[in-house]
Amino acid sequence: MNEKLKQFQKLLKKENIQAFCVLENDTIRYLTDFFFYSPSDAYLLITQSKVYCFTKKMYSADFKRKAPYITLVDSLDIEDVCKKASKFKNKAFDSTLAPYVEGTALASCGFKTRPGFLEQAQEVKTQSELKIISKACHISARAFEIFKKQLKSGMSEKQGAALLESIMQTLGGQGLAFDTILAFGANTANPHHHNSDRKLKQNEPVLVDFGCKYKGYCSDITRSWWFGSKVSKEWQKTFDVVKEAHDYAATLAKDNIRATTLDSAARDFMDKAGFDSSYFIHSLGHGLGLKIHQTPYLSPKSQALLKTNSVFTIEPGLYYDDKFGIRYEDTFVLTPKGAKILTK
Amino acid sequence: MKINAIKLKNLRNLLKKNNLEGLIISDFTDTKYFLGDFFHEDESILLITLKHIIVFSRSLYEGSFKQKYKEALFVSEDKNRPEALVKKVKKLNLKKLAFDENKELYSAAKIYLKAGFKESSSLISLLRITKTEEELKLMRKATKISMQAYKNIQKYVKPGITEIELKRKLEDEMARLGGQGFSFELMVSFGANTANPHHVCDGTKLTKNTAVLFDWGAKYQEYCADMTRCFWFGSKAPKEYKTILSLVKRAHDKAIKEAKCKMSGAQIDNISRSIIDQAGYGKYFTHRTGHGIGMQDHELADISQLNNEPILENYCFSIEPGIYLEGKYGVRWEDCFYMTKKGIIQIK
Repeated sequence: MNEKLKQFQKLLKKENIQAFCVLENDTIRYLTDFFFYSPSDAYLLITQSKVYCFTKKMYSADFKRKAPYITLVDSLDIEDVCKKASKFKNKAFDSTLAPYVEGTALASCGFKTRPGFLEQAQEVKTQSELKIISKACHISARAFEIFKKQLKSGMSEKQGAALLESIMQTLGGQGLAFDTILAFGANTANPHHHNSDRKLKQNEPVLVDFGCKYKGYCSDITRSWWFGSKVSKEWQKTFDVVKEAHDYAATLAKDNIRATTLDSAARDFMDKAGFDSSYFIHSLGHGLGLKIHQTPYLSPKSQALLKTNSVFTIEPGLYYDDKFGIRYEDTFVLTPKGAKILTK
Repeated sequence: MKINAIKLKNLRNLLKKNNLEGLIISDFTDTKYFLGDFFHEDESILLITLKHIIVFSRSLYEGSFKQKYKEALFVSEDKNRPEALVKKVKKLNLKKLAFDENKELYSAAKIYLKAGFKESSSLISLLRITKTEEELKLMRKATKISMQAYKNIQKYVKPGITEIELKRKLEDEMARLGGQGFSFELMVSFGANTANPHHVCDGTKLTKNTAVLFDWGAKYQEYCADMTRCFWFGSKAPKEYKTILSLVKRAHDKAIKEAKCKMSGAQIDNISRSIIDQAGYGKYFTHRTGHGIGMQDHELADISQLNNEPILENYCFSIEPGIYLEGKYGVRWEDCFYMTKKGIIQIK
């Protein structure tokens, strides 16, 4: 049995759930390390001691080789999942990650809904996951160093983004965690800018928010810098505060601390430094893993407590419409000794 | 940005035909069909009614969304978007709403059912099956990029290179030529791996005198290309390899020549399958002849025994017969096409 399935079964015991049905492709990949081509090619039924995979015949030879500890069932009929689980009383599925049709079938054969359960289950990473995420982060960080040197005035935002994406791929990245944001000049003031044909000029700000995937896992970095030697003083002062807020928030991270503590600390830091934190218009960070956004959310309203071996971003920013915006972001893992930067 | 008027009109006609006042669109690709590339996955719900276009999404997007789409309303909601939608619909006094029973999540569907909305089949999938001229243009561009990239990387097909390395070369070259992502996880297989139609690239190294198979495609502005090529690397191709390769090419070409508008998916499948059957390789052709394609590499317009629906004008699909001899090698030959009154035309 792999580490993640073991961890999941432990969670089932703790929550007193006898059987759990997983219907979503990314979560199935997470639990089995097996890649199904189409989103509806398999279901998993996990009990406290066994794991069943319901799938098409076409996958069976490969699956048996790669995940011999999982019992294969040659069927994609959700009723067969019901039959297999009929002897269990406490059974559940995650209603936020279940299609309506299958969810309805499960609910009618006694499965209870546990919204958010699967996202929660992925929050604390195993050692092998941390290795993969570190690698994804490392590729992204290394790609940035090369990209920064190759970015030239005259390149458009779209061209620049394609360049960075290609460098990541060459360094071993396997696709993108999300679409790269590359903004020049006043475009940096929009935290969700869509890359345009605008060309880079000397002496203006640049912001890039990007990350590659590796073995399905995401990385996430943002860097802001001034392109050219005549750095605006106003820009530099703002940059310093954003970077310091980022560093400061990271020092506060420890096991069981409220995520909101970090979020509000970053805002207070800006206010105290004389920068109105109402220009920090998004949350401080988010968890990531197979998905680019997952628990824990580091936002003003978050209920999350940070846990050892969880992975999240810290990404404060300040945005001034029509002028410039700055964001500084790294991906961190929480260790017993505090938050450790992975994107380096 | 203007939301495509033809797509909107087609949807509203479909709504009227189904006696609906509006449709809830939550599938990521379906929302992109109307809005283009704007949100991340799982961040927005689109509601199109006979009068309004309303988006429910994270507050973060409010400013930039309003700037980009002037004709749509934006409702900020960070937590429970289905509930926010129900509230808004009540205010607008709309009653006859539906959600897509095949694409909706269970948790959201429960909220919609409680509000009195109806289940509907996949109306947007039905719209997406017929491509507009604009969509065909993007698919041609994606195909050109993919084919050019394939030609450009042939120089790397040398002994010692691994499947993963060669796949990266291809990905890189497509990105360099303007591709925007990939239609699916690209496949490069060597030797006996070519006999597995769903092989996942690994560290297998290329050696002289082995089978090679590429199945790949770039995306361009959300639209997919998809093609397969295979060849024998080295001069000593086994006789049987040559036989099955020329057989799948003939099966592929025959479908192109004989497929007609309004034939069913099953009838077109038969054209290819019968040639392979007659040659005695029928049981090694283990998949359908083709699949629909558009914003996703698998869409409606199946070219298979299971599809008795007619293939109509501007439906797009692949034709990709294959033969797989386990433990030895496999072959597949694939291009994409669209249907016209006069027969099928290759997207290229």
